[in-house]
Amino acid sequence: MTENQSPIINQPVLQAEGLQVRYAGNLAVDIESLTVQRGEVVGVVGANGAGKSSLVNGLAGWSRGSAQVTGVVSLGGLAVQAWPTHERVRAGLLLVPEGRLIFSQLSVHDNLATAFDVTNGPERRVYSRDDVYDLFPRLKARRQHLGSQLSGGERQMLGIGRALMMGPRLLMLDEPSIGLAPMLVSQVLQTMRTLASSGLSILLIEQNVRAALEVVDRLVLLERGRIVLQGDAAEMENNPRIAQAYLGAHGS
Amino acid sequence: MNLLQQVINGLVMGHAYALVAIGWTLLLGVARLVNFGHGQMYMLGAFVTWWAFAKAGMPYWMAVPAAMLTGALLGLLMQRIMLKATFEQNLVSIMIMTLGFGYVLHGVAALVFGSTGQVLDTPWSQIDFEYGALWLTAQDVAIIVAAIIVFIGLSWLLNATRYGRLVRMVAEDPKLSQLAGINVRRIYFGVFAFEGAAVAFAAGMVAPRTPILTSMGFDEVIMTFVVVVLGGIGSVRGSYIAGVGLGIFTSLFAALVAPAYTTAAAFVLLIAVLVLRPKGLGIGSGGGAH
Repeated sequence: MTENQSPIINQPVLQAEGLQVRYAGNLAVDIESLTVQRGEVVGVVGANGAGKSSLVNGLAGWSRGSAQVTGVVSLGGLAVQAWPTHERVRAGLLLVPEGRLIFSQLSVHDNLATAFDVTNGPERRVYSRDDVYDLFPRLKARRQHLGSQLSGGERQMLGIGRALMMGPRLLMLDEPSIGLAPMLVSQVLQTMRTLASSGLSILLIEQNVRAALEVVDRLVLLERGRIVLQGDAAEMENNPRIAQAYLGAHGS
Repeated sequence: MNLLQQVINGLVMGHAYALVAIGWTLLLGVARLVNFGHGQMYMLGAFVTWWAFAKAGMPYWMAVPAAMLTGALLGLLMQRIMLKATFEQNLVSIMIMTLGFGYVLHGVAALVFGSTGQVLDTPWSQIDFEYGALWLTAQDVAIIVAAIIVFIGLSWLLNATRYGRLVRMVAEDPKLSQLAGINVRRIYFGVFAFEGAAVAFAAGMVAPRTPILTSMGFDEVIMTFVVVVLGGIGSVRGSYIAGVGLGIFTSLFAALVAPAYTTAAAFVLLIAVLVLRPKGLGIGSGGGAH
């Protein structure tokens, strides 16, 4: 694998071709092509059960059940679809999953530590624990607390902080705003903007289309596991289909 | 004075129980696995130590590591066979497979070592310490010292090293650990190798106290089960306390009531604790490998 370790410049950071995810034979995701360019923030929206989580889990080669994934997944030009999850993670394909995203029996301090060594570089910015504390001062105040003692928003911050310390090439966030109070949602989105402006590539799964449109460069609409619409954020915001079904506009 | 001697015996027995159980404690705490072949692995550890020492002419301090190496390899082999069931956390399959594995070990050991009893006559068992009516051997002292060192060492490893943190992460959530870049499979293999080496080490230390037979193992696995459950599943500190407590209890019970019923009494104690403190005696451990 070492001969392919340095990705080719101008390659998209993520490219998935013919990606299919099946659960017990049922097709949950069926995508011809999905691309995330370097430094781009791509949002994936869609109704419950549209296959948003299955998509990012499939890209990470990860699932809590037993999913069957076929297709090509390349990370910076490097085909990773045959790799086990932990190797994709080490290569910089990071997923902050929905729900249980931190270790609740470890302290915040212990959660913010990596299982492997990764070198900081132009390709991968590796956050130190202090960098994470600078980004989320709230976590610093609670560093001795156990993961189980954190609020939903703090867990989300910790989950993102953990991922940043592993030097993401692409950060995949599965519904970071779910279950959060509106004030916290805008805080999480603000963080995402900060990260995006630092040049990080992000694939954001979001049910709240309005919230997603605030931060993404490009939006992908998923229905029944398929991409039915995609385009620049501005263009998508004015798309009648999006406006009607997801932004609550009527008769425009 | 006889009572004090029983307490000393109990302390030695207790540290022996704790030492024999340590591999299972980690196995259950981290991989959520059981190993009902544990007792036969203890038996094999005792016989490999005996063979290396009495037949191959190795010094005792080399015979024990030889048994540990055998145990570790055996652990790796078992884990390789059970890997799929481990990832699926299929406890029923694992229970049956490890139980069967134990019987295979028993059969193989009987073929190789014969079915006559042997005595592992280590240099340390011949050194006696006597204070009036009280008596113990250097081997007994070595068991206590070894158990304390192993427990402190394991606690340190789990709580103060990076590897220990990885083990605790896998114990809490193996799926999330994959997303943290941890090779979960390797951790499972490591834990099983530790189980094999630890029980062989315990055998090398404890087995010299009694004659060894290839048919033994049942009492060891039962006592280990009691210690691990009493201590609070997967709690390292809890297992130590439970092991020592159980040793003193069985020793006093044998002296004051009847030696024939000690295993039954241990189970009564276990059931009582399960009813009164379902999470075991471990203090403040939330089921993880603390």
